[in-house]
Amino acid sequence: MTHVVTSNCTGCRFTECVTVCPVECFHGDAERLYIDPGLCIDCGACIPLCPVKAIYDLVDVPAAQREWIAINAERAAPLPVMRAKQAALPDAEAQRVALGFA
Amino acid sequence: MATIQETETTVLGACPHDCPDTCSMLVKVKDGRVTGVQGNPDHPFTHGRLCAKTNHYEERVYHPERLLYPMRRSGPKGSGQFTRIGWQEALDTIAARWKSIIAESGAQAILPYSYLGHEGLLNGLTVGDPFFNKLGATVSERTFCDSGACTAYIMTVGPTPGMDPESLAHSKFILLWACNMLSTNAHLWPFVAEAQRNGAKVVVIDPFRTRSAQLADQHIRIRPGTDTALALALMHVIIRDGLVDRSYVADYTVGFDELVEHVKPNTPAWAEAHTGVPAAVIETLAKEYAQSQPSAIRIGVGIERSAGGGQLVRALSCLPALVGAWRKPGGGILQLPLWAFPMNWPGLQRADLLPPGTRVLNQWELGRALTGALELDPPIRSLFVYNSNPLIVAPDQARMRTGLAREDLFTVVSEHFVTDTARYADILLPAATQVEQDDLMFSWGHLYLTLNRKAIEPEGESVSNAELFRRLARVMGFDDPFFFRSDEQMMRESMDWANPALAGITLESLAGKGYARLNLPPADQFAPHANGGFPTPSGKVELKSSIAAGGNFVLPVFRQGSNEFQDGSPAALLPTWIPPREAPKSNPALAQRFPLSMLSPKSHSFLNSEYANLARQVEREGPQHVLVNPADAASRRITEGMPVMVENARGAFRAVARITEDIMPGVVLAPLGYWAYRSAGEATPAALNPTAYADLGRAPTFSDNLVELRAAP
Ligand code: SF4
Ligand code: SF4
Ligand code: SF4
Repeated sequence: MTHVVTSNCTGCRFTECVTVCPVECFHGDAERLYIDPGLCIDCGACIPLCPVKAIYDLVDVPAAQREWIAINAERAAPLPVMRAKQAALPDAEAQRVALGFA
Repeated sequence: MATIQETETTVLGACPHDCPDTCSMLVKVKDGRVTGVQGNPDHPFTHGRLCAKTNHYEERVYHPERLLYPMRRSGPKGSGQFTRIGWQEALDTIAARWKSIIAESGAQAILPYSYLGHEGLLNGLTVGDPFFNKLGATVSERTFCDSGACTAYIMTVGPTPGMDPESLAHSKFILLWACNMLSTNAHLWPFVAEAQRNGAKVVVIDPFRTRSAQLADQHIRIRPGTDTALALALMHVIIRDGLVDRSYVADYTVGFDELVEHVKPNTPAWAEAHTGVPAAVIETLAKEYAQSQPSAIRIGVGIERSAGGGQLVRALSCLPALVGAWRKPGGGILQLPLWAFPMNWPGLQRADLLPPGTRVLNQWELGRALTGALELDPPIRSLFVYNSNPLIVAPDQARMRTGLAREDLFTVVSEHFVTDTARYADILLPAATQVEQDDLMFSWGHLYLTLNRKAIEPEGESVSNAELFRRLARVMGFDDPFFFRSDEQMMRESMDWANPALAGITLESLAGKGYARLNLPPADQFAPHANGGFPTPSGKVELKSSIAAGGNFVLPVFRQGSNEFQDGSPAALLPTWIPPREAPKSNPALAQRFPLSMLSPKSHSFLNSEYANLARQVEREGPQHVLVNPADAASRRITEGMPVMVENARGAFRAVARITEDIMPGVVLAPLGYWAYRSAGEATPAALNPTAYADLGRAPTFSDNLVELRAAP
C-alpha cells in the first residue's frame, strides 16, 4: 500500500516532505513529486510536512483525486529520487496562497 | 506545520505496542477528544514518524465496536452474545467463582494468560504477576517472542545491550538476519540507510524478498530452519582463512580451540546442501563480514522459530567476537538493547509471593491443558486473559477452541475489542487504550526511556490494567498496600533509579520532554565490549558456554519471576547444527504429504492480531492471503487470486493465493493476525503451527512447519 501525492503539488514542489521519508521513495520531475508505491511503508511522516496538504494515505485519497494513485505508481520509479530539500519553484508561494494555505 | 488552534493541546505519549521502536507519540487533544497522533519530530529515533499500525490511533480509541463496559455472556460460548453489566457485578462474579474454585481445587486451577499486548512498565508484561503470584495460580510461562534468543544470547555474551541500535550508522557491513526491518523495526532503517550511503554493504538473509531485502545490496535466500548451517560455515571459513581477530579472541573469549575443531566439518559445501545457499556465496559473505569492520548483525525476533533456533542465536552471538567486531561502535550483534534498562524485575513480578512448588505451564500447552489432553491435577477451571489473543496467535487453534468452549471453564477476558478469544469469555472487561492512561515505557529497540501521559478520560468504563488488578486485589480480599499503589508510585518502584544508566533522569524530568536517553555513551562512542567485559560467568564471550552446562532454561522474566520447574534438558556447549523437524530433507515422509514450508510473520499493518479488525489496516493488507512461488503454484494448478486451502495434519485455513517470485520455491508465506470470525473460515495460520519447542528457551517453532496447498472447494 502507499501514500499518494495529489494535484496540489503540481507547480509547487516545496519538497518539505522528502527529508523525513525513511525509504527515499519520493521521485520528482520538473513540476512535482510522486511516491513509489512499491517502497512507501505508510509511515505517514510526510503528510503534516506538506504545506499544501497534497499527500494522502491511499485509503483517504478524496474521490476527485483518485486518478493520482495510478499516476504516482506509473511515474515515480523511472524518475530520479528526491532525498534532500530543493528550492521551491518560483511561483510556489503564490500558488500556496491561491490554494488557500497562506 | 499546521498552526495549532487555541483549544488544541498536545500531550506527550508513547506507543504501547510490542515493537522495538517504542515511538514517542504526540497526541493532539481538542475538547477532551483525541483528534490525531503524530510521531515526535524531536525524538532522535522516532524522527516524526509512527507507522502503518498507529498513524490513526484515534480510530482505535473511538471505534464503534470498542468494548466499553463490562459484559456477561448471554449466549452459548463463542457466540459473541453478551449483556452489559456493572463493574461491581463483574468483579463480584469473578471473586465468587474464584473463591469457590480455590476452596474446591486450589488456586492452581486458575491460569492467567497474557503477553505483551501492552509493553509498559505499569500495564504491560508484568502487570498481573504480583496478583497471580499472591493468589498462587498456575504460573504462565510466556515464550512467545525472543525467549529462545535470550537464553542463547545470555549463554554466549550475557545480558548486555551490546550495541546501541543507532550505532548501526557507523557500521561498515550490516547483516539483517531474519529481520524484516521495514515492517517490524522501521525506525532503525534510516541508521542502516545512512551506513549504506557511507559505503556499508547491507545483506539480508531471508527466505522471503522482504521490503528490506529490496533495499539491501544483497539478498540471500535460505531454506527455512537451516540458518545454523550457514552460521557455522561462516565460522569455518573465517577460521580456515585466518580471518580471525587473534588478539580479541585470545583476550576476550573462551573455548576457541574447541570451536576450531567443532566447525571443521561445517564446510561451505556442507552448508550449501542444507541451506540451498551456494558455497561461493558463503565464502564471499564470510570474507566480507570478517574484513569490513566494524560489522553488525541485526537479528529479528522470528529467528528462533525452528527446532534449532537457539543454537542459531548461539552461533550468531559468537561471530562478532571471532572477527573483533566488538572493538568499535557499530560492531557486534544487536539482539535486545532492553538489557541496558535497569528494571526492578523482582519488584515488578514479586515472585517472592509465589507459594513454593507452584506449577508452571507453558503457553503452547493451552489447547492441551484446557481439553484434558495434558493431565493436570487440578485441571484448569478458570482462565484469565489480558494483553493477549491466544486463539489467533498461539498454536493448536482447533484444540484451544474446543477447550474454550467448555461450559465449566470460567473465562475472563480484558480487551479493547471482542476478539476471537473474547467471544468465549464468561465475563468481558473493558481495557483502556494508551491515550487514556499513564505509563512508563522501556524499549527493546533503542536506549530511550519514554513517558506516556494520559491525554483523555477513559471512554465508557474502560480501565487501565494497573487499575484492573487493583480492583481484583480488592475483591479477592488482599490487604497488602503493595496491591493498591498509585500509578505514580508504581512507576517510581519499577526501576532502579540509583543505577548509573538512569543518572540525571527522574519522572519529573521525563515529564518535560517525554523521553530521555539512558546515561550511556553516544552512539558514535558506544562500544561497551571494546575491551571485553561481558556479563558472563567468565567475563568473556563464551564460545563454549558454561551456562549451557546447566541445561536449557527460560529466563524468569518470561515466567512471572518463577525459577521452579525449569526445562533442564541438555544443551550443547558449542554452537551446534540441529536440523529442522519439518523439512523435506530431515523428514521426507512428512514432506511427501506436506511438501511446503510455511512462514507466518507479522503483517505490515497489523501488530500480531491487533489492528486486523480496523478498516484502514485491513483495506491496506487485503484478505488473508498466502504467497506462493510461481513454480509451486503451477504444479498445483493454482492461479493468482484463487481461493486455496492451506493445510497440514494440525489444521487448515482458507486464503487467497498471491503468486510471486518474492517467495522462494518450496516455501509459502501467510501473514498472521487476521481474525477468524471475520475471515472466510474458522481457522487462521496459527491453526497449522506446531506446539513443539525450539531447542532453547522454549521458543515456538512456527517456522518449522510443513503444509500443502490445494484449490479451495
Ligand atoms: S511538500 Fe507537498 S507540495 Fe511540496 S513537494 Fe512535497 S508533496 Fe509536493
Ligand atoms: S508515508 Fe512515509 S514512507 Fe511513505 S512516502 Fe511518506 S514518508 Fe515516505
Ligand atoms: S508500532 Fe512500533 S513503529 Fe509503530 S508507532 Fe508503535 S513503536 Fe512506533
